[in-house]
Amino acid sequence: MNEHIVRSYEDELNSLAAECVRMGGLCEAQVADAVTGVVKRNQDLAAAVVGRDDKLDEAERDIERKTIRLIALRQPVADDLRRAVAAMKVANNLERCGDLAKNIAKRTLVIIESDPLTPLTRSIERMGKLVLGRLSSVLDAYSRSDLERALAVWSQDDEVDEHYNSLFRELLTYMMGDPRTITACAHMLFVAKNLERIGDHATNIAEIVHYEITGAEMVGGRPKTDELRL
Amino acid sequence: MYGESPLSTDPSLYAALVEALPDPILVVTGSERSDLTGRRFIFANTAARELLRIIADAGMLLSAVRDPAVLSVVDKALFDGADADGFYETTASQSRSLRVRARPLGLGADGTRLALLTFHDETEVRRVEKTRVDFLANASHELRTPLASLSGFIETLRGHAKDDPAAREKFLGIMQAQADRMARLIADLTSLSRIELDEHVPPRGVVDLVLLVGEVVEAAAPLGAQRGVKLDWRPCAACPVAVRGERDQIVQVVQNLLDNAIKYSPDGAAVRIELRSGLSELAAAASAEGVPRLSLVAPDPSSESYASLRVTDLGPGIARQNLPRLSERFYRVDGQKSGARSGTGLGLAIVKHIMNRHRGGLVVSSAEGEGSTFTAYFPMAGAPEAVVKAS
Repeated sequence: MNEHIVRSYEDELNSLAAECVRMGGLCEAQVADAVTGVVKRNQDLAAAVVGRDDKLDEAERDIERKTIRLIALRQPVADDLRRAVAAMKVANNLERCGDLAKNIAKRTLVIIESDPLTPLTRSIERMGKLVLGRLSSVLDAYSRSDLERALAVWSQDDEVDEHYNSLFRELLTYMMGDPRTITACAHMLFVAKNLERIGDHATNIAEIVHYEITGAEMVGGRPKTDELRL
Repeated sequence: MYGESPLSTDPSLYAALVEALPDPILVVTGSERSDLTGRRFIFANTAARELLRIIADAGMLLSAVRDPAVLSVVDKALFDGADADGFYETTASQSRSLRVRARPLGLGADGTRLALLTFHDETEVRRVEKTRVDFLANASHELRTPLASLSGFIETLRGHAKDDPAAREKFLGIMQAQADRMARLIADLTSLSRIELDEHVPPRGVVDLVLLVGEVVEAAAPLGAQRGVKLDWRPCAACPVAVRGERDQIVQVVQNLLDNAIKYSPDGAAVRIELRSGLSELAAAASAEGVPRLSLVAPDPSSESYASLRVTDLGPGIARQNLPRLSERFYRVDGQKSGARSGTGLGLAIVKHIMNRHRGGLVVSSAEGEGSTFTAYFPMAGAPEAVVKAS
């Protein structure tokens, strides 16, 4: 559109990062709406989330294209190269988060056909809030180049897992108690799993931010809880 | 006729006026629709800086806010020159709902487009409504059990236990206990809904934790003695420990944590209460090795140093899969719905809401058979002397 404007190299890098942040905002909204949709059993909201996923895909393709163009034309090195690569990788992770949010919304459309499972949706709401908090925290870290905040997100990965394991057991109890709930519960299980994976993507982004700022990879294993215990 | 007004002669008053407005206000500029980095905020008042956690006076708009609803409202005002309204919800631990309005301001001196972006907090309105609905649902459900038991005993007393003094005495005792339980429930419920309503009002005042915890421990000692539980109070060396907060609510936090610890301690065991100060945020978030731990409230990163209050009991502990549900209302770990240890199931929910309001943290670490530790982190008041990193 505005190729005629000669932009400086720095400008190009900045706008790449800015586009990533905007995409992050879109992604946050998708996840938030997907969770609200499933908790409040809101069909319209779920359908809207499914419809908006294209925007995220488009944004990812756009960022990828621009990054490749920048690398080819400007041949960045050191910090600049890391910034360009980080933008592309962050966009990648965000797009995956968007897919997972879309999947939650699709399942919502099925879940709302059966009776509500009130205590369960409360657990989903809590987990969704936690995951969303992590996503938003790591995007803050990315947009402000805040290493400490990225590290904080990275080191608290186990909490999402705890919620997931707890939800898993809760779901088993329901399904054993009343086989008629199995359809809804099985979908809920995937909703929980998707949320857990969005949490994992947030951790990935934290690692990318760390790499972007320091040039070093995260050392040491990420805190993990034991295998799922039944 | 307003010629004499100081506002017309001193333009700096206008700046002070906007700065002091309670609603967040930003002035945004933009040159072209496709230019993302060109959208910048060139002014943000104190409320806006607090809401969006911005440090600089000006910067890229996207570094302050990335919510698509807000961005599209801004775009409409900047590039379509039209008024636009939207809705913005923050995702931080204290989520807030705000109405967003953007108004075009025309062109700036350098030819860039200008727009005014304002936020208006509607959290309270929505919260009051939601709290009322929740309150009714919760209260009616939880009061049903003791009420059913009461009317059952009344029926028995009128029927075949009419002339049996021993049974009458026994039943009246049970009825008294149930009535007490209902009273406790109602007290907790009202206190919870009051705390919820105030959750977004920052607490005023400064409290000395050493003194406060000491008093609560002293007051709880008789209850401990009654159950054969010793209270082992270890204040930290640095004295006093000043934290930001509302005295009554912090007393309630300490009281509830202590009550729980005493309730679940075996006979003759000790409850350890430790106070530390000058912890950094990372220290507050650092995890202990081995024992499963979970933060029920994540400390707000805005404070520089924290004081921690740790209450450890040697009770049965909490299974890992139950940890995430701990602060849920009316959640009691299996088998504790009745009997000698019955609580209202609201204690930790109250603690959680108070800690959230104080922008503190609450962490539980526990394993089955190994007791539990609850740690509350309070943001300290004033500049800390030294920030101790976690060892």
